[in-house]
Parts: sequence; structure tokens; C-alpha cells
Amino acid sequence: MSKFENFIYYILETKFRKTMVIVLTAVAFFASLLMFPTKAVLAKMLPGKSDNTFSVYIDTPTGSSIEQTKKITSCVSNILSKEHEVMHMELFYAQGIPLDYAGLVKGASMKRTENVTEISVNLTDKHHRDEPSFLMTQRLRPIINKECTPIVPNTVIKLVEQPSGPPTLASIVVEVHGHNIEQSRKLSVEVGNILAKTEGLVDIDVMADDIYDKYKLVPDIEKIARSGLGIEQVNNILYLAFEGMAIATKNSENRSEQIPIFLVLSNETKRLSNSSDNAIRSKLASLNLMNMQGMMVPLTEIVEIQKVKSTPMIMHKNLKRMINVIAETDMVSQVYPLLDAREQMLEYFAKDYNVTKADFSTYMFDLNLKDKKTGEAFLLRWDGEMKVTLDTFRDLGAAFIAALVLIFFLLVIYYKSFSLSGIILIGSFLSLIGVIVGHWVADLVTEQTFFLTATSLIGFIALMGISSRNSLLLIDFAMGLINEHDMEKKRAIAVASATRAKPIMLTAVAIILGSALLAGDPIFGGLGVALISGTVAAVFVSLLFVPVLMDNAKAMDKKEEEV
Amino acid sequence: METKQPYVVKDVAGKLAVGFLKNPLTAVLGIVLLALGWIALSTMPREEDPQIAISGGAVIVAMPGATPAEVENIIVKPLEKKLREVRGIEHVYGMAMDNVGIVNVMYYIGENREDSNLKLYDKVMQNMDQMPKGVMEPLIKPFDIDIDVPIISIALYKKEGSKLSTVELTEKIKALQHKINGIDNVAKTTLQGAHKEQFNVEVDMGKLSAYHLSMGQIMQAIQSLAANVPDVKGRTNDNKLVIFGISNAIESVEDVKNVMVANYMGSPIYLRDVAHVEQGIDKQNFQDADIIYRPNGNQSRELTKAQPQVTLTVAKLAGKNAVFVAEDVMEMLKEHDAEFAKEGVGYIVTRNYGKRANEAVDELMHHLVITIIIIAVMLVFALGWRESIIVTFSVPAILAVTLFIAYMTGQTMNRITLFAFLLSLGLLVDAAIIVIENIHRHLHAHDVDDKEMDELLIEATDEVGGPTNIATLAIIMTMVPMAFVGGMMGSFMKPIPYNVPVALFASLIVAYIFTPYLSLKLLKKPDHKHHHHKKHHKNDEEHEREK
Repeated sequence: MSKFENFIYYILETKFRKTMVIVLTAVAFFASLLMFPTKAVLAKMLPGKSDNTFSVYIDTPTGSSIEQTKKITSCVSNILSKEHEVMHMELFYAQGIPLDYAGLVKGASMKRTENVTEISVNLTDKHHRDEPSFLMTQRLRPIINKECTPIVPNTVIKLVEQPSGPPTLASIVVEVHGHNIEQSRKLSVEVGNILAKTEGLVDIDVMADDIYDKYKLVPDIEKIARSGLGIEQVNNILYLAFEGMAIATKNSENRSEQIPIFLVLSNETKRLSNSSDNAIRSKLASLNLMNMQGMMVPLTEIVEIQKVKSTPMIMHKNLKRMINVIAETDMVSQVYPLLDAREQMLEYFAKDYNVTKADFSTYMFDLNLKDKKTGEAFLLRWDGEMKVTLDTFRDLGAAFIAALVLIFFLLVIYYKSFSLSGIILIGSFLSLIGVIVGHWVADLVTEQTFFLTATSLIGFIALMGISSRNSLLLIDFAMGLINEHDMEKKRAIAVASATRAKPIMLTAVAIILGSALLAGDPIFGGLGVALISGTVAAVFVSLLFVPVLMDNAKAMDKKEEEV
Repeated sequence: METKQPYVVKDVAGKLAVGFLKNPLTAVLGIVLLALGWIALSTMPREEDPQIAISGGAVIVAMPGATPAEVENIIVKPLEKKLREVRGIEHVYGMAMDNVGIVNVMYYIGENREDSNLKLYDKVMQNMDQMPKGVMEPLIKPFDIDIDVPIISIALYKKEGSKLSTVELTEKIKALQHKINGIDNVAKTTLQGAHKEQFNVEVDMGKLSAYHLSMGQIMQAIQSLAANVPDVKGRTNDNKLVIFGISNAIESVEDVKNVMVANYMGSPIYLRDVAHVEQGIDKQNFQDADIIYRPNGNQSRELTKAQPQVTLTVAKLAGKNAVFVAEDVMEMLKEHDAEFAKEGVGYIVTRNYGKRANEAVDELMHHLVITIIIIAVMLVFALGWRESIIVTFSVPAILAVTLFIAYMTGQTMNRITLFAFLLSLGLLVDAAIIVIENIHRHLHAHDVDDKEMDELLIEATDEVGGPTNIATLAIIMTMVPMAFVGGMMGSFMKPIPYNVPVALFASLIVAYIFTPYLSLKLLKKPDHKHHHHKKHHKNDEEHEREK
């Protein structure tokens, strides 16, 4: 211990050595900050976690039949069946799997059309499985997409992981706002293409209905009236014939529900030979309606068949027309692909549009487009996990600043000195060096990317308190030595550092050991690593850097009035 | 500090130490704290993720025959505008499709769910007079996570060789569903992939035109027979009641087949002549469900082919213990094992959040215990085993207090709560360590023989009180602003700012009350007149151990 005391005293002796400590600390601080722009440390809100289950969402183009969807589903389930770790799969046709946290925000409960299927895949217990579920989906995704997507063109197959934190619609959501639907659709497809080309993005989906051919039966009002029929009757019979209707029910004592009597044309006779207006016409020709006089009128007599395009759904968000384009990240943070894709978009859209960037806010990545010819305005808004991340980081940043201010006031009240309070704050802020370097080291030693996450930030905020405690006890002890034992200032600081070193180390070791198990957790790993490495840095800072500042501070001088 | 005068207590720390040092109730208090913690631990609702108050809802308005553009103008736009007036709504999403308009609202995270649902309903009902003509009654569906996210899903399927029909399987499952609904705290149960019984009348179009019939005629013919009427009361001459009624003309599928549709050239045409009639399932319902599984849950067996199944899902009421509900449901399922085995019904529990929550909580509890042991071992080396015992005792006491307060304030035990404990673990031993370290220092100071043990303990506790209070307060202050972080992530992380400050505050109190108390019981003044403190620290400890 006395060696350490002498070492501190040795540093405090000359101005040069003190400056050296300060300069070295500053260099370490800025070097660690540089790890962000150089991408040595990557930021993400929450990393993935291994789970015992994942889901597959299959969306065939709008207007596809359940048979087509089933064909793709069985292709997917065949591939998954080869997996050794799959215990069972549940296939839900034309509906979502029983609602889970992922499905909650992804609209699984709204699914009820023939072109959707969800598969719930249950794996063996994660504790006895070597491959985490997120690596499994990453491996299977290209295989499934290559084999199954071509069966029905424009099918989107998504492998969905359970979110490790709060669920979002997708990692990357680009909202294409614009009043002109046609052009918005075009834009959203282009955005989708750019996202598809961006490295690290998968499961791209333009969330707009596909336009498909459909046939419109235009009723000839005059003919209908003349033949003594009504439009409603025409509609009903048509629906009854092809879709069928429960026309009556029968009560039963040994069934829990009423038994409906369902009337429809038989499958063989209602099937069309192909998709054309001729096929429809010949089919409708044999469907007769009876008029009030009891005469039979063939349906084709009273309707005109027209081939039209389907009208896609119109989406609004906050009263503005909007189309979502979504993408998932493939084991990377969403920040970097987002920036890449945004660069691409700036370049791509500059041809036809005047592109302006948004102001600084949590929508700061937005792009405003103005058509060079027509002057119509469009907005590309980045939402989804990115927005949540920015909001969270903003709030956590504000919480952090609030914490700083609160601690500062507390210290000023306790010490009645701004400079001493300042020293403690600076000292605790420097634990950031440890946090960043710690993440870099953790990234080096782990197989997957180790991200700086929201939990790392929480760890850092907690660290502020911990390292301010170190400095606080140190200053308190040194002041006691100076004022009550009449010790010389430099010696007193050196003695204080040496004496407090033991409890500082002890509490540091307690924190490090306490956080060791946290570091292994996928979500709270960031918190654990931040606490461990930050505490190490805090120990160095409070035992080497803080004494130097203390020596420089006038407030540490012996107080004359106190005897 | 070096006077022989009785030590004057300056800080709360000293006062607490004085108050509890010789108090017989201190031990009782300690036991009570641990007991409260145990009660909280065993009865507190457990879940995997903390509850996030997401509220929102959908208003669905159908307008048959309208195109998306029409729906947008007539339904979606006015509705959106009105809903925008509701306070607390963050986003309004409108969807205009063929025949139907849907407006979804999402409230800000943390808005009260019941209030939000009511506000939505209220707003729509207030403006019913402005509904356009030809529009069907709006359907208001609030999202309800607790009720909507099932904690258990069970896939039931027919085993090979089972003689059950699809309808009979559904009936069996419905009976089970009914019983599960009767279990305490079970909210919504649903069936996915279930098929109902139905009489299917499939008309042959060719025969229809051959007999010169229309679909409308067939419909009318069936409807005229399938009427249910209540019995009528007649009276006899002496005013006694005679009850008689028309029985339903359609009792079985045969009756449907024999419905007379028309007369053709004087001979009757029955439904069986123009249509295929069968007692089957609702074919028009394409929402099927299949299952692929490994027989007997054995990983070495091949996965089966896809076969039809029915999934039964069970949700629990808000704030109830998922673990208990899941256990009750599983028990109910077990009771049916014999019956299912006989009938050839197989089942696989495909989701059990109760079990998962329990496992997650147990795993973290396990981590917590390991961490406490690690810290205790470290303290044995640094301070000595008696001191280590004192500090180690303080940890369960602090956690017990924190857990009990969390329980009382209606929190649940989830991953984040336990992470808050793990996070605070490193911090909360500090207060005890600082106090014990100072006691240790005083015990080995040269004036030790001049003081009474209890006076020394009080002085040692009081001395570090000031800076420890301030330092702990500093950490608490870093945590408090986190409670104001908004959004999903803020709600998700809430247990941290709620519990860490409580734990830290408890750690101070426990350190000031129990550390001196236990030191009095466990530590003795060392006999070391020939030693000087500090530099012979190691020797002192060895000395102490020898005694």
C-alpha cells in the first residue's frame, strides 16, 4: 500500500507528470469515442436472443388461392422437416398462429385471406441446442427463399424471430407518404428494390396489395327490369352459386352448435376451365334465374362481363396516404444498412425528384421528395425499430443528463464547492472509456457481433453513480486528513488514495463479480459488460486521475476557519 | 475522535445503529424481513416479460359493394378525423379496401387500457348520426394483450387408427374447452382449425338446367321446411292445457335429401336428384390447421407428414400468475389423458408461457444465488469469514424487502425485475462492505482497548454514514430519471428504475441496522497490543482466525 501511496505522491510532485496523466486520459477518452465512427463498436437497440421457437410467415400475392398458398407451405415445411432440431410445427392456413408478441404488432390477428399462412416452428430446448434460433433462421432463410418462392411468383416468405425486447413492426420500416397512389406505389417498389440490394437486409416486403386481373359483371339495368328480376336477386344467386351460403339451420341436442344447411354449386360443376371472360361467360350461361313470371332467364343475358384490374387497398397513417415497405436485419444492427440504403436512395431519386433531408429530430433520416415535373411532394419516413431506438436513446440521454444534473446539485449541497463536484462528475463520466473499450473487447472475443445496446446505456448511467461514490469517499477522506490531521495536501491525497484503494477495489470486485453472469445474457449482456469494464475504468480514474484533479483544485486546500 | 468522551452520534446511520444495537426485536425484525421476502417469492405473479400497457383498437365498417376509393372518402376519412380528436391516441391508421374500411388506433404506451377502450367506443357512438347511408353497423374491437395473447396452446389431433370423425374430434375439444373456461383466472379460450358439422348441399349445375330449375327455388324449398317453431298451447273443454307442436321437418340428412324442389311434368323432383347432399364439415372454411410432429416427442424419430389438428388456446386474466393458471390447465388436460388415449386423440402442448416464465425466473434466481456466493467467497478472503457472513446476510434481507415492496405495489416477477436485482446486487453490498470495513479498521486501531465494543460499533457506523448516504443517494438519483423514459423500451425497462432505488435504500437501512448488530454478536476485539494497525493487516486477520 505504501508503494501505491508513494506512486501517487510521485505523480503529484511535478506539474509535468500531472499534465501527462490528464493528457493520457483525454487521449484514451477520444480514442474510445472514435470507435463509433470507425465501426469498431456497433450500436443496436437490442440484440437477438435464442429461443425455442420461431415463425414463418408466407404471403402469396393478393388474389392467390388457398391451394397455391398450401403448395408453398408444404415446400417450406418439407425443408424444415429435414432439420434435426425441429420438434414440431403447426401450420395455420389463411390465419395467424395463436397470437404472440411478434404477431401482436405484425398484424397476425388480421389475417384471414387465402393468400396467407403462418407456421409456428418449435425447436428443442435452447439449453441443449448448439445452434441459437437466430443463427438457424439466418441459415435457413436463403434455402427456403431459393426453393419455395419461385412456386408462385412475388411470394414473400419471412422467418420471424420472437423479439428480445418490445416488439416492433419490423427492424426497418420505410413509410412512403404521398397523395398520388400510382406514384406512391411506384416509389415504394423502388424503395423495396433498394432495400433488397442493401447488404444485411432480408425479408423485404412492400405492404401493398398486388394488382391482379378480375372480372366485373356489369348488370344491364334495362334488361333486368324487363325480365322482372332485381339486382339484389342477381347478386344473391351469384354468391349462392359460387361461394355458397348457410340458408337454414337445424338445432341438435348432441352438438354444441346449430348445424347449418349449406347450399352451393358442386365443386365439379362450378369450376372454370381457365381464367378468361369466355370461360366465365360459358359458365354463367348455364346459371338461370327465375323471374316473377316463373320463367328462366340465363345470367349471361342480363350482365356484361368486363375484365378489370383489382383496386388495391388504400392505407392511411395519421390521415395521410401511406405505403409501408418493411425489411428485417440479418444479424446486423439496423443502423448501418439504414444509412447505406438511405445513401442509395439519395442518389437514385435525385434523377426525378428534388430530394431534401429532414431536420434533426427522431425522424432525422426522413427524405422529402419533390417531383421535378409535377411538383408533387412525397415523404420517405423511416420508422420501426430505428424510430424506437432513436426515441429510446434520446430519452435515455435525457435521463442521463438529468442524472448528471441531480448528482451535481447533490454534491454542491454536500461540499459547497463547484470545483469538487465538477471533479467527481468528470471522474465518473470517464468511465465511458471503459464501457466502449469493454464492448470492443467483448465483440472481439464473442463469435457474433456484440452490440452496444440500450441496456449498455443503462449500465453506463448506473456507473455514473458508482464511480462518483469512489471519488466521493476519496475526497471525503483526504479532506479529513488535511483538516483534522494537519497533513500536507499532496501527501494527504496520496495517503487517501492508498487507504481508500482497498474498499474501492472491494466494491469494484463485488460489482464485477455481480455482473459477470449478466454479461452472458443476450439482452442484458450490454449492461453486464458496461458495468464490468466501466468499473475497471472507474477504479483507474478514481485512483489516478481524480487525485491529480484534487491536487489542482483550490477547494481541497486546508480550510482556515475549521479547527 | 480520539477523546474519551462518549461518542456523539451525528448521522442517521449512527442513530439507527444505536436504536437497534441492543434491541431484542432486531433479530425478530430480521426474521420477519426474510419471511416477507419468502412469501413474496412464492406467491408473486411470475411472467417472462413485464407487462407493457399497449392499448388500441380497430373500428371496422363494412359497406358492401364499395370500392377502396369510395370507402376512403365515405368511411375512412371522416372516421379518422373524429378519432383524431381523442386524447392519448398516438397514431391513426386507416385502411380502405373493397367493401370494408378499417381504422386502427394506437394509444401512447402506458395509457390506461380500460379508459382507452371506453374513449374509442364513446367517440364512435357519439358520431353514429353522421354514419353514411348503406353502411353496416360499425364494429369496435379493442386490442387486449392479456386476453389476446394466449399463455397456452395445445394442438390436438387424431392418432393413427382413430375412429373419430372430424366433427366428433371438435366436439371432444369443445367439451375440454368448456371445462378449461371454468378454471380460475382463465380468460379467453379459442379454437383454431376447428371444423363444424354442416349439411352440405352441392347442386349440380348441369342437372339444374336440365330440370329447368334455379338456385333460388332450391333455397326456398329448403328454407320452407327448416323452420323451428315453439310448441303451442291448446285448452280442453275443462280448461286443461294440451301442448302440441310441429316437429322440425328436417331431423337428419335423409330429410334434406328428400326435400321436394319442384314438380316437373307432374312428377316430383327431390333435392337428391339435382344435388349431392351429405352430412359433413364446413367446407367453405379454408382456415385449416395442420401439425407435423415427432412421435412420442422423441427427437430421433422422423417428423410425420402434415396432418389436420385443432389448436386450443388459453389466455389468462390481467395481473394473474401465468404459472398457476398454466399448471391448472395442464392438470385438467392430464385428467383427460385416459379418455383421449381410448379415443385415439393425441395432443402436444405447443406453447406454455407459464412454464417458460417459471424457468426464466428460476434460472435468474439461480444466477442470483451463485452471485451472492461468489461475493461472499471474495469477502472471506478480503475481510475474514465472520465479516463475510455479516455482509452475506444483508443481501437476502435487502432483496427480501425489495421483493416484498415490489409485490405490494402490484409488480410482477419477470426477467427485467430479476435483472434489476442482479444489477443492484453489485451495488447493494457496498453499503454493508463500507460499514464492515470501517468496523474492521476500528477494531484494529490502537485505541481499541479504551472503548466499549458497542460504542466502537456505533462510532464506526456513524463515521461513514455521511459519505455513504450521499454516494448511495447519487446512485439512486441516476436511476430515478430512467422511470421517465417513454415508449415501449421505457415501459419494458420500468422495473429497473422502480426496484434498484428501493434496493439501494434498503441496503443503507440494513447496513446501519444489522451490520453493527451482527458485528456485536459475531466479532470480538482482537488481542493485539503488540501490533500496529494497517501495515500488519494480514497478520491481524490470521491472528483473529487463530483465536
